[in-house]
Amino acid sequence: MLQSTRSPASTTASSPGPDGPTDLSQQINDSVRHRFVIDTRPGHKLGEGTYAIVFSGHYRTDPTHLVAVKRIKKNADYHDGIAPDAFREIQFLSELSHPNIITLHAVFSTKSQTLSLVLEHLPGGDLEQLFQTPRDQLAYSASDFKAWALMLLRAVAFIHASGILHRDIKGNNILIAADNTLKLADFGLARAFAEPGRNMTHQVITRFYRPPELLYGAMHYGAAVDVWSTGVVLVELCIRDFFLPANTDVEQFHVVEHMFGTPTEESWPGVSSLPFYNLSSAPPKQAQWRAWAGARLQMLGGDGLEVVSGMLAVDPRRRWSAERVLRHAYWGNEPQMTRKELLPRVPGKGGKKKVGEDLKRGAEGEGEGEGRVEKVARKLDFGSMRN
Amino acid sequence: MPLTEDDLYRTSTQYKYWSFTSAQLATQRETTNLQATERVKANVARQRAARARSQVESANTSDAGSGVETGGNTPLHLGAEKEVNCLTVAEEKKLVDTFCERALELGSFLKFPIDVTATGIQFLRRFYLLNSPMTYEPQTISRTAMFLAGKLNNHNVGIEKYVAKFPKVTAEQVLAPEYLLVQGLRFHFQVRHPFHGLKGGHLEMMEMARGNAAPAPHCTETREELQKAMLALPKHARGNPQPWTVEQMEKRITQAYGFADKRILKGPAQLTDAYFLYTPSQIWLAAHLLADEPLTLFYLSTKAPPTSPLHEKLLATLRACAALLSAHHTYKPDTLSAAEKEARDKLEKEQVSALIRKLKHCRDPDKMDLVKLNAAQKRDAVRADGELEESVAKRRKVQREGFEKQADDFWGPELKKEANGTK
Repeated sequence: MLQSTRSPASTTASSPGPDGPTDLSQQINDSVRHRFVIDTRPGHKLGEGTYAIVFSGHYRTDPTHLVAVKRIKKNADYHDGIAPDAFREIQFLSELSHPNIITLHAVFSTKSQTLSLVLEHLPGGDLEQLFQTPRDQLAYSASDFKAWALMLLRAVAFIHASGILHRDIKGNNILIAADNTLKLADFGLARAFAEPGRNMTHQVITRFYRPPELLYGAMHYGAAVDVWSTGVVLVELCIRDFFLPANTDVEQFHVVEHMFGTPTEESWPGVSSLPFYNLSSAPPKQAQWRAWAGARLQMLGGDGLEVVSGMLAVDPRRRWSAERVLRHAYWGNEPQMTRKELLPRVPGKGGKKKVGEDLKRGAEGEGEGEGRVEKVARKLDFGSMRN
Repeated sequence: MPLTEDDLYRTSTQYKYWSFTSAQLATQRETTNLQATERVKANVARQRAARARSQVESANTSDAGSGVETGGNTPLHLGAEKEVNCLTVAEEKKLVDTFCERALELGSFLKFPIDVTATGIQFLRRFYLLNSPMTYEPQTISRTAMFLAGKLNNHNVGIEKYVAKFPKVTAEQVLAPEYLLVQGLRFHFQVRHPFHGLKGGHLEMMEMARGNAAPAPHCTETREELQKAMLALPKHARGNPQPWTVEQMEKRITQAYGFADKRILKGPAQLTDAYFLYTPSQIWLAAHLLADEPLTLFYLSTKAPPTSPLHEKLLATLRACAALLSAHHTYKPDTLSAAEKEARDKLEKEQVSALIRKLKHCRDPDKMDLVKLNAAQKRDAVRADGELEESVAKRRKVQREGFEKQADDFWGPELKKEANGTK
């Protein structure tokens, strides 16, 4: 009697059946995950940063279709659930499909609740490597420059038309595909255009690429911030060096004023009411951009210089939009741009290691907590200058 | 080739993954309901069986003498338990609609801007296309959905401050289902709303009234002719043309905007399937149609000539959308009498409380405690995911060694066991 009633199943019956039916959303996730084969062997990672590990992989049905799988690491210092950095990148990349923007093929999660982003495989290095390669190893012309510039501007115009700000445009966030196409990547700081009147943080964009309105602490800004960064990148590509390097945020201020002059109410109406305007140089500095550009930016030609000057207008309201840049005659003028397949490549690129280095770099050494926005914020400390 | 709004909308996840025909929507809901119902019944049956067995066991062990009699009675008692009465598809939808309504109130309580609140509400609606309220309790999920919407849209209040706004809610309760939620949303976080479109259309109509609006390419009329036609619009649908001054027309346009915005976009548009079935521009135009029909028809005629087949198709879509929006119980046109409004609210309230009572008796017993479930899932995953386990173990070991070393530096090394006296 005792034997017959004591079923062995009774001890586990009250806990949820581990092999029971899974949720529909779990099933969808599992099927997405199954579409990719990922190489997670130790020593085969494409790269690793504080924020993500990048593995190589491919579609299960097509082993020649390579992908880079960015697995987001758990952020132990973030206590408000899943850290927003990963979300931001997914949120914006999912909405954007354009030949000059990195493709997000899929997103899935593993049992341990880590998110993985399946991204386009881009083995050609990045724009910063391109301009930093010594001239004797990599030569490029005004025609090559024009082709790269156009691909970059198309990406920027597209995200702006979609109502999204990138807020971290710089050479090493512009990656190069196997077929030489440029792709804008790293949307970890992106956001949608703000509603008029809502405050935004000015502590974004890597320092060298930060536009004057952010340096002066503007709380309201728009697409013009990305156009400035893009202009800086284009100048760097011409001079094959950093254009406005500075070691501190305060120094950045002076480097920009040194090149473009100290803005005044005449040159930039409203500038004097920005929070950090009182930190600007006294006596005011004179702009030396025209003279400097005339001497150093031969690659642009007169029409190209007009375009880049428009992108680097200090007053954000006078700065050209990416769309206006695209409409300029420069693109159709001589010299004609190089066909994509003939563009020079970064030597030694196309190798496996590099893709991952590029993809995870944006986050390396950067944010924990609320993420990179705060980290950048911490770097910007004007307090010591107030007295 | 210039990009149009339509091109951009077609690249959105809302268009690609979260737009449906009503038939598709119905099929999806049936699938979800069926799966949840089967699971609830199976899990309840399993729990009852387990409970019965343990009763039998305890009866047998505690009272061995009369064991034969009590043991024989239990199965009869078990059979008498009622079968679970599960929610129907319609009831599930009604419940979700109700919790969307509460989420709207929650959003204004949290002082979220409407687009953030509306995003949270759409998260909730999308989640419950693939999940049943019987499986995951909607009040819990809606708190998480609103928190997530804030976090993703520059309104991160911080979890501690967030939970402090609710009585008896812990951070774990809000965060535990977050992962479940993002998976249910298929990792799509961007929701397209009709608010901007309405505002844009409003500003454009104001310019038309002032004679400043540039006519659309197909339009043969000048801006002055557009203005003239606008200032002779009938007051109501099927009314006669009548003259308006610019100021009167501006006032009328502003009133229409207010009605469409407050009474429809911030109400029924959030609480019905509008976002699944229509595009943001269709939704705002339908809302505007309900607010002021002659004005909206005039505006449409400046975009697509009334003779074009597109115009007819568009209007049919807008009328269908308007019908959906105006059928919602929160839609209260000025023509509705106070008594009618009251009756409508009373009926709604009764239906809802009956549904919530019913839900209490058909919850999936396995999914009651999401905090525990989440912890268990994480624990299992560590075991399943060897690689992770290795790295976690390694990190813990390094940490532990660090702590031990610190402790040793402070207290001096641990005493030898032999020196430890008596034991």
